[in-house]
Amino acid sequence: MVERVDVAVIGAGPAGLAAAVAAREQGAERVVIIERAERLGGLLPQCIHNGFGLLYFGEDLTGPEYERMFIRKAERAKVEARLESMALDISPDLEITAVGSRHGYTKIKTGAVVLAMGCREKARGALGIPGGRPAGILTAGTCQRYVNVDGFIPGRRFVILGSGDIGMIMARRLTLEGAKVEAVVEIMPWPGGLIRNEVQCLHDFGIPLLLEHTVTFIHGETRIQGVTVTRVDRERRPIPGTERFIPCDCLLLSAGLIPENELSVKAGVELDPVTGGPLVDENRQTVIPGIFAGGNVVQVHDLVDWVSWEAEVAGRNAARFADRGGIPFREEVRVRAGENIKYVVPQFISGEEEVTLHLRVTRPGLRAALLLGGKLFKRYRSVRPSEMIIEKVDVGRLSQAIGDGELRVDCRLGEEA
Amino acid sequence: MAAETVICIGCPLGCRVSVAVDRRGKVAGMRGARCRQGEKYVLKELREPVRTLTTTLRTADRDFPLLPVRTSRPVLKALMRDIVRETASVVVKPPVKCGQVLVSDVCGSGADLVATTDWSLRAGSRKKER
Repeated sequence: MVERVDVAVIGAGPAGLAAAVAAREQGAERVVIIERAERLGGLLPQCIHNGFGLLYFGEDLTGPEYERMFIRKAERAKVEARLESMALDISPDLEITAVGSRHGYTKIKTGAVVLAMGCREKARGALGIPGGRPAGILTAGTCQRYVNVDGFIPGRRFVILGSGDIGMIMARRLTLEGAKVEAVVEIMPWPGGLIRNEVQCLHDFGIPLLLEHTVTFIHGETRIQGVTVTRVDRERRPIPGTERFIPCDCLLLSAGLIPENELSVKAGVELDPVTGGPLVDENRQTVIPGIFAGGNVVQVHDLVDWVSWEAEVAGRNAARFADRGGIPFREEVRVRAGENIKYVVPQFISGEEEVTLHLRVTRPGLRAALLLGGKLFKRYRSVRPSEMIIEKVDVGRLSQAIGDGELRVDCRLGEEA
Repeated sequence: MAAETVICIGCPLGCRVSVAVDRRGKVAGMRGARCRQGEKYVLKELREPVRTLTTTLRTADRDFPLLPVRTSRPVLKALMRDIVRETASVVVKPPVKCGQVLVSDVCGSGADLVATTDWSLRAGSRKKER
Protein backbone atom coordinates (compact mmCIF):
# COMPACT_ATOMS: atom_id res chain seq x y z
CA MET A 1 0.00 0.00 0.00
CA VAL A 2 1.23 3.46 -0.85
CA GLU A 3 0.61 6.07 1.80
CA ARG A 4 -0.21 9.63 0.75
CA VAL A 5 1.06 12.76 2.51
CA ASP A 6 1.32 16.44 1.61
CA VAL A 7 4.91 17.10 2.66
CA ALA A 8 7.58 14.55 3.57
CA VAL A 9 10.72 15.76 5.34
CA ILE A 10 13.86 13.64 5.30
CA GLY A 11 15.74 14.00 8.59
CA ALA A 12 14.60 15.01 12.09
CA GLY A 13 17.44 17.27 13.18
CA PRO A 14 17.04 21.01 13.66
CA ALA A 15 16.43 21.49 9.92
CA GLY A 16 13.84 18.73 9.56
CA LEU A 17 11.90 19.78 12.65
CA ALA A 18 11.80 23.43 11.55
CA ALA A 19 10.82 22.52 7.98
CA ALA A 20 8.01 20.24 9.13
CA VAL A 21 6.57 22.82 11.54
CA ALA A 22 6.73 25.52 8.85
CA ALA A 23 4.98 23.24 6.34
CA ARG A 24 2.15 22.64 8.81
CA GLU A 25 1.87 26.35 9.58
CA GLN A 26 1.62 27.03 5.85
CA GLY A 27 -1.41 24.76 5.75
CA ALA A 28 -0.11 21.35 4.69
CA GLU A 29 -2.49 18.75 6.12
CA ARG A 30 -0.24 15.71 6.57
CA VAL A 31 3.43 16.34 7.22
CA VAL A 32 5.67 13.36 7.95
CA ILE A 33 9.30 13.36 9.03
CA ILE A 34 11.26 10.28 7.94
CA GLU A 35 14.17 9.72 10.32
CA ARG A 36 16.64 6.86 10.42
CA ALA A 37 17.45 7.21 14.14
CA GLU A 38 15.13 6.10 16.91
CA ARG A 39 14.43 9.61 18.11
CA LEU A 40 13.92 13.20 16.97
CA GLY A 41 16.58 15.89 17.41
CA GLY A 42 19.46 14.79 15.22
CA LEU A 43 22.83 15.70 16.75
CA LEU A 44 21.55 18.33 19.16
CA PRO A 45 21.49 15.99 22.22
CA GLN A 46 25.26 15.62 22.08
CA CYS A 47 25.89 19.37 21.67
CA ILE A 48 25.55 20.10 25.39
CA HIS A 49 27.33 23.47 25.13
CA ASN A 50 25.48 26.77 24.96
CA GLY A 51 25.38 29.34 22.15
CA PHE A 52 22.26 28.06 20.42
CA GLY A 53 19.10 30.07 19.84
CA LEU A 54 20.39 33.62 20.39
CA LEU A 55 18.95 34.73 17.06
CA TYR A 56 15.93 32.44 16.86
CA PHE A 57 14.65 32.54 20.44
CA GLY A 58 16.62 35.53 21.78
CA GLU A 59 18.02 33.24 24.48
CA ASP A 60 21.37 31.55 25.01
CA LEU A 61 20.39 27.87 24.96
CA THR A 62 22.29 24.58 25.00
CA GLY A 63 21.80 22.02 22.21
CA PRO A 64 19.42 19.85 24.27
CA GLU A 65 17.36 22.91 25.21
CA TYR A 66 17.12 24.05 21.59
CA GLU A 67 16.13 20.54 20.55
CA ARG A 68 13.42 20.40 23.22
CA MET A 69 11.91 23.70 22.05
CA PHE A 70 11.61 22.37 18.50
CA ILE A 71 10.29 18.94 19.45
CA ARG A 72 7.59 20.76 21.42
CA LYS A 73 6.79 22.91 18.39
CA ALA A 74 6.57 19.81 16.21
CA GLU A 75 4.25 18.09 18.69
CA ARG A 76 1.99 21.12 18.91
CA ALA A 77 1.89 21.41 15.11
CA LYS A 78 0.90 17.74 14.86
CA VAL A 79 3.83 16.74 12.72
CA GLU A 80 4.01 12.97 12.24
CA ALA A 81 7.30 11.16 12.78
CA ARG A 82 8.34 7.94 11.06
CA LEU A 83 11.32 6.92 13.19
CA GLU A 84 13.86 4.18 12.51
CA SER A 85 13.09 4.51 8.86
CA MET A 86 15.75 5.26 6.28
CA ALA A 87 14.75 7.00 3.06
CA LEU A 88 16.49 5.16 0.21
CA ASP A 89 14.99 6.68 -2.88
CA ILE A 90 12.84 9.52 -4.18
CA SER A 91 11.22 8.88 -7.58
CA PRO A 92 10.56 11.69 -10.11
CA ASP A 93 6.85 11.61 -9.22
CA LEU A 94 7.80 12.06 -5.55
CA GLU A 95 7.31 8.59 -4.20
CA ILE A 96 9.69 7.88 -1.34
CA THR A 97 10.95 4.40 -0.58
CA ALA A 98 12.04 3.85 3.01
CA VAL A 99 13.15 0.84 5.05
CA GLY A 100 13.62 0.18 8.72
CA SER A 101 13.16 -2.42 11.41
CA ARG A 102 10.07 -0.82 12.90
CA HIS A 103 8.01 -0.14 9.76
CA GLY A 104 9.59 -2.50 7.25
CA TYR A 105 9.64 -1.53 3.58
CA THR A 106 7.33 1.42 2.98
CA LYS A 107 6.36 3.70 0.13
CA ILE A 108 5.10 7.23 0.68
CA LYS A 109 3.64 9.33 -2.11
CA THR A 110 4.06 12.99 -1.26
CA GLY A 111 3.08 16.35 -2.69
CA ALA A 112 6.54 17.76 -1.97
CA VAL A 113 9.79 16.74 -0.26
CA VAL A 114 12.15 18.67 2.00
CA LEU A 115 15.72 17.35 2.12
CA ALA A 116 17.00 17.96 5.66
CA MET A 117 19.71 15.33 6.05
CA GLY A 118 22.32 17.72 7.44
CA CYS A 119 26.01 17.03 7.04
CA ARG A 120 28.73 14.67 8.22
CA GLU A 121 32.33 15.08 9.22
CA LYS A 122 35.31 14.51 7.00
CA ALA A 123 36.93 11.27 8.10
CA ARG A 124 40.53 10.14 7.79
CA GLY A 125 40.01 8.80 4.29
CA ALA A 126 39.16 12.29 3.05
CA LEU A 127 42.34 13.76 4.56
CA GLY A 128 44.89 11.25 3.34
CA ILE A 129 47.29 11.24 6.28
CA PRO A 130 50.16 8.74 5.88
CA GLY A 131 51.01 6.26 8.60
CA GLY A 132 49.59 3.20 10.27
CA ARG A 133 46.00 2.15 10.77
CA PRO A 134 45.85 2.03 14.55
CA ALA A 135 42.81 2.45 16.79
CA GLY A 136 42.26 5.83 18.38
CA ILE A 137 41.52 8.00 15.36
CA LEU A 138 38.03 9.42 15.33
CA THR A 139 36.09 12.47 14.31
CA ALA A 140 35.43 15.18 16.89
CA GLY A 141 31.68 14.59 16.61
CA THR A 142 32.01 10.88 17.31
CA CYS A 143 34.10 11.69 20.37
CA GLN A 144 31.46 14.25 21.39
CA ARG A 145 28.83 11.54 21.37
CA TYR A 146 31.01 9.17 23.42
CA VAL A 147 31.75 11.83 26.04
CA ASN A 148 28.40 13.63 26.27
CA VAL A 149 25.84 10.90 25.57
CA ASP A 150 27.39 7.46 26.08
CA GLY A 151 29.54 8.42 29.03
CA PHE A 152 33.10 7.42 28.29
CA ILE A 153 36.29 9.11 27.15
CA PRO A 154 38.09 7.39 24.28
CA GLY A 155 41.63 8.37 25.40
CA ARG A 156 43.83 10.25 27.86
CA ARG A 157 46.12 12.33 25.65
CA PHE A 158 44.57 13.96 22.62
CA VAL A 159 45.76 15.78 19.53
CA ILE A 160 43.05 17.51 17.53
CA LEU A 161 43.57 18.03 13.79
CA GLY A 162 41.60 20.99 12.48
CA SER A 163 40.27 23.94 14.44
CA GLY A 164 36.62 23.68 13.52
CA ASP A 165 34.13 24.59 16.21
CA ILE A 166 33.39 21.00 17.21
CA GLY A 167 37.11 20.29 17.63
CA MET A 168 37.67 23.32 19.84
CA ILE A 169 34.57 22.61 21.89
CA MET A 170 35.77 19.03 22.41
CA ALA A 171 39.20 20.33 23.47
CA ARG A 172 37.51 22.16 26.35
CA ARG A 173 35.15 19.32 27.19
CA LEU A 174 37.93 16.71 27.31
CA THR A 175 40.11 18.98 29.45
CA LEU A 176 37.28 19.53 31.93
CA GLU A 177 36.72 15.77 32.08
CA GLY A 178 40.35 15.20 33.02
CA ALA A 179 42.02 14.34 29.72
CA LYS A 180 45.04 16.19 28.34
CA VAL A 181 44.76 17.96 25.00
CA GLU A 182 48.31 18.37 23.70
CA ALA A 183 47.50 20.64 20.78
CA VAL A 184 44.99 21.73 18.18
CA VAL A 185 46.68 21.63 14.78
CA GLU A 186 45.39 23.86 11.96
CA ILE A 187 46.78 23.86 8.42
CA MET A 188 45.46 27.35 7.58
CA PRO A 189 46.99 30.59 8.93
CA TRP A 190 43.71 31.30 10.79
CA PRO A 191 41.43 29.23 13.01
CA GLY A 192 38.57 27.34 11.39
CA GLY A 193 35.97 28.15 14.01
CA LEU A 194 34.50 31.16 15.78
CA ILE A 195 36.67 33.54 17.85
CA ARG A 196 34.44 32.93 20.85
CA ASN A 197 35.43 29.25 20.74
CA GLU A 198 39.12 29.97 20.24
CA VAL A 199 39.13 32.12 23.40
CA GLN A 200 36.77 30.15 25.63
CA CYS A 201 37.79 26.64 24.59
CA LEU A 202 41.53 26.95 23.92
CA HIS A 203 42.95 30.07 25.63
CA ASP A 204 40.94 29.51 28.82
CA PHE A 205 42.62 26.14 29.27
CA GLY A 206 46.05 26.95 27.86
CA ILE A 207 45.63 24.55 24.92
CA PRO A 208 48.14 25.39 22.15
CA LEU A 209 46.73 26.22 18.71
CA LEU A 210 49.36 25.45 16.08
CA LEU A 211 48.44 27.46 12.98
CA GLU A 212 50.05 26.58 9.63
CA HIS A 213 50.81 23.09 10.90
CA THR A 214 49.43 19.72 9.98
CA VAL A 215 49.72 16.06 10.93
CA THR A 216 52.02 14.35 8.45
CA PHE A 217 52.34 10.91 10.00
CA ILE A 218 50.33 8.70 12.33
CA HIS A 219 52.43 6.42 14.54
CA GLY A 220 51.29 3.14 16.05
CA GLU A 221 50.31 -0.35 15.04
CA THR A 222 47.41 -1.40 17.24
CA ARG A 223 46.83 1.80 19.21
CA ILE A 224 47.94 5.25 18.07
CA GLN A 225 51.23 6.22 19.80
CA GLY A 226 51.52 9.76 18.54
CA VAL A 227 51.62 11.97 15.50
CA THR A 228 54.25 13.86 13.55
CA VAL A 229 53.27 17.51 13.28
CA THR A 230 54.94 19.62 10.59
CA ARG A 231 54.85 23.30 9.70
CA VAL A 232 53.46 24.09 6.24
CA ASP A 233 54.33 26.79 3.71
CA ARG A 234 51.94 29.17 1.97
CA GLU A 235 50.87 26.47 -0.46
CA ARG A 236 50.11 24.24 2.52
CA ARG A 237 53.05 21.94 1.72
CA PRO A 238 54.91 20.49 4.71
CA ILE A 239 58.31 22.15 5.26
CA PRO A 240 61.04 19.50 5.65
CA GLY A 241 63.01 19.80 8.87
CA THR A 242 60.15 21.25 10.91
CA GLU A 243 58.74 17.89 11.99
CA ARG A 244 58.10 17.18 15.64
CA PHE A 245 56.62 14.20 17.42
CA ILE A 246 53.67 14.66 19.75
CA PRO A 247 52.70 11.59 21.77
CA CYS A 248 48.98 10.87 22.09
CA ASP A 249 46.59 7.96 22.42
CA CYS A 250 43.79 9.60 20.48
CA LEU A 251 43.63 11.79 17.37
CA LEU A 252 40.45 13.75 16.78
CA LEU A 253 39.60 15.04 13.32
CA SER A 254 37.77 18.35 13.05
CA ALA A 255 38.60 19.21 9.47
CA GLY A 256 35.33 20.21 7.94
CA LEU A 257 31.82 19.03 7.26
CA ILE A 258 30.28 17.64 4.09
CA PRO A 259 26.57 18.03 3.29
CA GLU A 260 25.02 14.56 3.13
CA ASN A 261 23.54 14.34 -0.36
CA GLU A 262 23.68 10.75 -1.59
CA LEU A 263 19.88 10.60 -1.56
CA SER A 264 19.62 13.96 -3.35
CA VAL A 265 21.98 12.94 -6.15
CA LYS A 266 20.12 9.67 -6.62
CA ALA A 267 16.93 11.68 -7.04
CA GLY A 268 18.57 13.75 -9.78
CA VAL A 269 19.22 16.87 -7.69
CA GLU A 270 22.15 18.88 -9.03
CA LEU A 271 24.82 19.92 -6.51
CA ASP A 272 26.98 23.02 -6.23
CA PRO A 273 30.58 21.74 -6.31
CA VAL A 274 31.67 24.41 -3.79
CA THR A 275 28.98 24.08 -1.10
CA GLY A 276 28.51 20.35 -1.66
CA GLY A 277 24.78 21.00 -1.35
CA PRO A 278 21.96 21.25 -3.91
CA LEU A 279 21.68 24.23 -6.23
CA VAL A 280 18.63 26.07 -4.90
CA ASP A 281 16.52 29.10 -5.68
CA GLU A 282 15.29 31.65 -3.13
CA ASN A 283 12.41 29.30 -2.20
CA ARG A 284 14.98 26.55 -1.56
CA GLN A 285 13.59 24.46 -4.39
CA THR A 286 16.17 22.29 -6.14
CA VAL A 287 16.31 21.67 -9.89
CA ILE A 288 13.90 18.75 -9.44
CA PRO A 289 10.32 20.08 -9.17
CA GLY A 290 8.86 19.47 -5.71
CA ILE A 291 12.17 18.66 -4.02
CA PHE A 292 13.22 21.39 -1.58
CA ALA A 293 16.22 21.53 0.76
CA GLY A 294 17.24 23.46 3.86
CA GLY A 295 19.88 23.53 6.59
CA ASN A 296 23.33 21.94 6.52
CA VAL A 297 22.38 19.70 3.61
CA VAL A 298 22.45 22.91 1.48
CA GLN A 299 25.41 24.70 3.04
CA VAL A 300 27.28 24.18 6.30
CA HIS A 301 26.07 26.92 8.65
CA ASP A 302 27.90 28.40 11.67
CA LEU A 303 24.77 28.76 13.75
CA VAL A 304 21.85 26.39 14.20
CA ASP A 305 19.50 29.38 14.17
CA TRP A 306 20.19 29.83 10.46
CA VAL A 307 19.70 26.11 9.86
CA SER A 308 16.21 26.48 11.29
CA TRP A 309 15.57 29.66 9.29
CA GLU A 310 16.62 28.11 5.98
CA ALA A 311 14.65 24.91 6.61
CA GLU A 312 11.55 26.98 7.36
CA VAL A 313 11.85 28.62 3.95
CA ALA A 314 12.05 25.15 2.39
CA GLY A 315 9.15 23.82 4.48
CA ARG A 316 6.85 26.75 3.72
CA ASN A 317 7.48 26.53 0.00
CA ALA A 318 7.15 22.76 -0.05
CA ALA A 319 3.67 23.22 1.45
CA ARG A 320 2.85 25.83 -1.23
CA PHE A 321 4.08 23.45 -3.93
CA ALA A 322 1.94 20.61 -2.59
CA ASP A 323 -1.10 22.85 -2.34
CA ARG A 324 -0.88 24.34 -5.84
CA GLY A 325 0.50 21.31 -7.61
CA GLY A 326 3.75 23.13 -8.34
CA ILE A 327 5.64 26.40 -8.08
CA PRO A 328 8.26 27.40 -10.65
CA PHE A 329 12.01 27.08 -10.07
CA ARG A 330 13.16 30.71 -10.08
CA GLU A 331 16.16 30.72 -12.35
CA GLU A 332 15.75 34.16 -13.92
CA VAL A 333 18.93 35.42 -12.25
CA ARG A 334 22.09 33.45 -11.62
CA VAL A 335 24.03 34.52 -8.51
CA ARG A 336 27.79 34.49 -9.21
CA ALA A 337 30.54 34.26 -6.62
CA GLY A 338 33.14 36.81 -7.73
CA GLU A 339 36.35 38.17 -6.18
CA ASN A 340 37.15 36.71 -2.74
CA ILE A 341 33.77 34.98 -2.49
CA LYS A 342 33.77 31.26 -1.90
CA TYR A 343 30.07 30.75 -2.50
CA VAL A 344 26.67 32.40 -2.33
CA VAL A 345 23.36 30.68 -1.51
CA PRO A 346 20.81 30.74 -3.12
CA GLN A 347 22.49 30.19 -6.47
CA PHE A 348 19.37 31.27 -8.41
CA ILE A 349 16.88 34.06 -7.71
CA SER A 350 13.90 35.67 -9.38
CA GLY A 351 15.15 39.22 -8.87
CA GLU A 352 11.54 40.17 -8.16
CA GLU A 353 11.51 39.62 -4.43
CA GLU A 354 13.61 40.54 -1.42
CA VAL A 355 16.26 37.89 -0.90
CA THR A 356 18.59 36.86 1.92
CA LEU A 357 22.08 36.02 0.68
CA HIS A 358 24.28 33.60 2.63
CA LEU A 359 27.93 33.79 1.64
CA ARG A 360 31.47 33.07 2.71
CA VAL A 361 34.68 34.86 1.80
CA THR A 362 37.76 32.97 0.62
CA ARG A 363 40.36 35.05 2.49
CA PRO A 364 40.05 36.97 5.76
CA GLY A 365 40.84 40.64 6.08
CA LEU A 366 40.34 43.84 8.00
CA ARG A 367 38.29 46.45 6.16
CA ALA A 368 36.22 44.83 3.48
CA ALA A 369 33.53 45.92 1.08
CA LEU A 370 30.72 43.77 -0.28
CA LEU A 371 29.82 44.63 -3.86
CA LEU A 372 26.63 43.59 -5.59
CA GLY A 373 26.78 43.96 -9.36
CA GLY A 374 29.97 45.98 -8.94
CA LYS A 375 28.25 48.53 -6.66
CA LEU A 376 29.06 48.98 -3.00
CA PHE A 377 26.47 47.25 -0.82
CA LYS A 378 28.06 47.27 2.63
CA ARG A 379 31.38 47.76 4.41
CA TYR A 380 32.75 45.51 7.15
CA ARG A 381 35.55 46.08 9.63
CA SER A 382 36.54 42.45 9.32
CA VAL A 383 35.61 39.38 7.31
CA ARG A 384 36.64 35.77 7.96
CA PRO A 385 35.95 32.55 6.05
CA SER A 386 34.70 30.98 9.28
CA GLU A 387 32.03 33.64 9.82
CA MET A 388 29.21 33.41 7.31
CA ILE A 389 27.96 36.75 5.96
CA ILE A 390 24.18 37.02 5.78
CA GLU A 391 22.55 40.02 4.10
CA LYS A 392 18.99 40.85 3.22
CA VAL A 393 18.74 42.62 -0.13
CA ASP A 394 15.57 44.48 -1.09
CA VAL A 395 14.07 44.58 -4.57
CA GLY A 396 15.33 48.10 -5.27
CA ARG A 397 18.95 47.24 -4.63
CA LEU A 398 18.57 43.97 -6.49
CA SER A 399 17.30 45.64 -9.63
CA GLN A 400 20.27 48.04 -9.57
CA ALA A 401 22.72 45.19 -9.13
CA ILE A 402 21.37 42.66 -11.63
CA GLY A 403 22.73 42.81 -15.17
CA ASP A 404 22.46 40.30 -18.01
CA GLY A 405 20.53 37.84 -15.87
CA GLU A 406 23.35 37.77 -13.34
CA LEU A 407 23.95 39.02 -9.81
CA ARG A 408 27.68 39.23 -9.25
CA VAL A 409 28.91 39.29 -5.65
CA ASP A 410 32.44 40.46 -4.77
CA CYS A 411 34.27 41.18 -1.54
CA ARG A 412 37.15 43.61 -1.87
CA LEU A 413 39.74 43.67 0.89
CA GLY A 414 42.09 46.28 2.30
CA GLU A 415 42.53 49.96 1.62
CA GLU A 416 40.80 50.09 -1.77
CA ALA A 417 37.69 48.77 -0.02
CA MET B 1 53.63 48.17 35.01
CA ALA B 2 52.51 44.83 33.56
CA ALA B 3 50.78 44.32 30.23
CA GLU B 4 48.02 41.82 29.60
CA THR B 5 46.32 40.88 26.36
CA VAL B 6 42.63 40.11 26.14
CA ILE B 7 40.91 39.02 22.92
CA CYS B 8 37.44 40.47 22.69
CA ILE B 9 34.75 37.96 21.70
CA GLY B 10 31.97 40.49 21.19
CA CYS B 11 32.05 40.27 17.39
CA PRO B 12 33.96 38.58 14.55
CA LEU B 13 36.58 41.34 14.65
CA GLY B 14 38.25 39.67 17.63
CA CYS B 15 40.24 42.73 18.76
CA ARG B 16 43.47 41.95 20.59
CA VAL B 17 43.38 44.46 23.39
CA SER B 18 46.52 45.12 25.39
CA VAL B 19 45.96 46.47 28.84
CA ALA B 20 48.51 48.11 31.12
CA VAL B 21 48.04 47.17 34.75
CA ASP B 22 49.85 49.04 37.54
CA ARG B 23 51.39 47.52 40.67
CA ARG B 24 48.16 47.63 42.64
CA GLY B 25 46.34 45.77 39.85
CA LYS B 26 44.58 48.85 38.54
CA VAL B 27 44.04 49.33 34.81
CA ALA B 28 46.22 52.21 33.70
CA GLY B 29 45.55 52.13 29.97
CA MET B 30 44.08 50.12 27.14
CA ARG B 31 44.94 49.82 23.46
CA GLY B 32 43.43 47.91 20.55
CA ALA B 33 39.70 47.86 21.31
CA ARG B 34 37.74 49.18 18.37
CA CYS B 35 34.56 49.95 20.31
CA ARG B 36 33.30 50.96 23.75
CA GLN B 37 31.52 47.66 24.33
CA GLY B 38 34.81 45.91 23.72
CA GLU B 39 36.50 48.08 26.36
CA LYS B 40 33.77 47.17 28.84
CA TYR B 41 34.15 43.48 28.06
CA VAL B 42 37.90 43.67 28.56
CA LEU B 43 37.55 45.37 31.95
CA LYS B 44 35.07 42.75 33.10
CA GLU B 45 37.25 39.97 31.72
CA LEU B 46 40.23 41.28 33.71
CA ARG B 47 38.34 41.92 36.93
CA GLU B 48 36.06 38.90 37.05
CA PRO B 49 36.08 36.52 34.08
CA VAL B 50 32.92 34.40 34.08
CA ARG B 51 31.62 31.59 31.87
CA THR B 52 28.48 29.51 31.58
CA LEU B 53 29.59 25.96 32.31
CA THR B 54 27.90 23.05 30.58
CA THR B 55 28.64 19.48 31.60
CA THR B 56 26.84 16.23 32.42
CA LEU B 57 25.73 14.39 35.55
CA ARG B 58 25.59 10.62 35.85
CA THR B 59 22.36 8.65 36.05
CA ALA B 60 21.78 5.05 37.10
CA ASP B 61 20.07 4.26 33.79
CA ARG B 62 22.19 2.13 31.46
CA ASP B 63 20.41 3.40 28.37
CA PHE B 64 20.61 7.02 29.37
CA PRO B 65 23.83 7.26 31.41
CA LEU B 66 24.31 11.05 31.33
CA LEU B 67 22.03 14.01 31.87
CA PRO B 68 23.18 17.31 30.33
CA VAL B 69 23.31 20.27 32.74
CA ARG B 70 24.36 23.92 32.80
CA THR B 71 25.05 26.52 35.42
CA SER B 72 22.03 28.73 36.07
CA ARG B 73 24.27 31.73 35.48
CA PRO B 74 27.88 32.35 34.51
CA VAL B 75 30.41 31.26 37.13
CA LEU B 76 33.97 32.37 37.79
CA LYS B 77 36.24 30.91 35.12
CA ALA B 78 38.55 29.52 37.79
CA LEU B 79 35.72 27.42 39.26
CA MET B 80 34.93 25.44 36.11
CA ARG B 81 37.30 22.55 36.78
CA ASP B 82 36.29 22.36 40.46
CA ILE B 83 32.61 22.13 39.57
CA VAL B 84 33.14 19.28 37.12
CA ARG B 85 35.37 17.41 39.61
CA GLU B 86 33.06 17.98 42.60
CA THR B 87 29.96 16.79 40.79
CA ALA B 88 31.55 13.67 39.26
CA SER B 89 30.00 11.52 42.01
CA VAL B 90 26.47 12.96 41.78
CA VAL B 91 23.92 10.45 40.48
CA VAL B 92 20.62 11.82 39.19
CA LYS B 93 17.33 9.94 39.50
CA PRO B 94 14.14 10.44 37.50
CA PRO B 95 11.90 12.29 37.07
CA VAL B 96 13.82 15.34 35.91
CA LYS B 97 12.38 18.32 34.06
CA CYS B 98 14.38 20.76 31.98
CA GLY B 99 15.39 23.71 34.18
CA GLN B 100 15.17 21.69 37.41
CA VAL B 101 17.90 22.45 39.97
CA LEU B 102 20.04 19.35 40.56
CA VAL B 103 22.90 20.84 42.61
CA SER B 104 22.31 24.17 44.31
CA ASP B 105 25.06 26.73 44.85
CA VAL B 106 27.58 24.41 43.27
CA CYS B 107 31.09 24.86 44.75
CA GLY B 108 29.95 28.09 46.38
CA SER B 109 29.71 29.71 42.98
CA GLY B 110 26.29 31.15 43.70
CA ALA B 111 24.98 29.30 40.63
CA ASP B 112 22.94 26.10 40.50
CA LEU B 113 23.42 23.17 38.17
CA VAL B 114 20.19 22.78 36.25
CA ALA B 115 19.01 20.10 33.82
CA THR B 116 18.95 21.08 30.15
CA THR B 117 16.58 18.33 29.03
CA ASP B 118 13.59 16.35 30.27
CA TRP B 119 14.34 12.83 31.44
CA SER B 120 11.26 11.68 29.49
CA LEU B 121 12.72 13.00 26.21
CA ARG B 122 15.68 10.66 26.51
CA ALA B 123 14.86 7.61 28.57
CA GLY B 124 14.05 4.45 26.69
CA SER B 125 14.91 5.97 23.36
CA ARG B 126 18.18 4.13 22.90
CA LYS B 127 17.24 0.57 23.83
CA LYS B 128 16.72 -0.56 20.30
CA GLU B 129 20.28 0.17 19.28
CA ARG B 130 21.62 -2.87 21.01
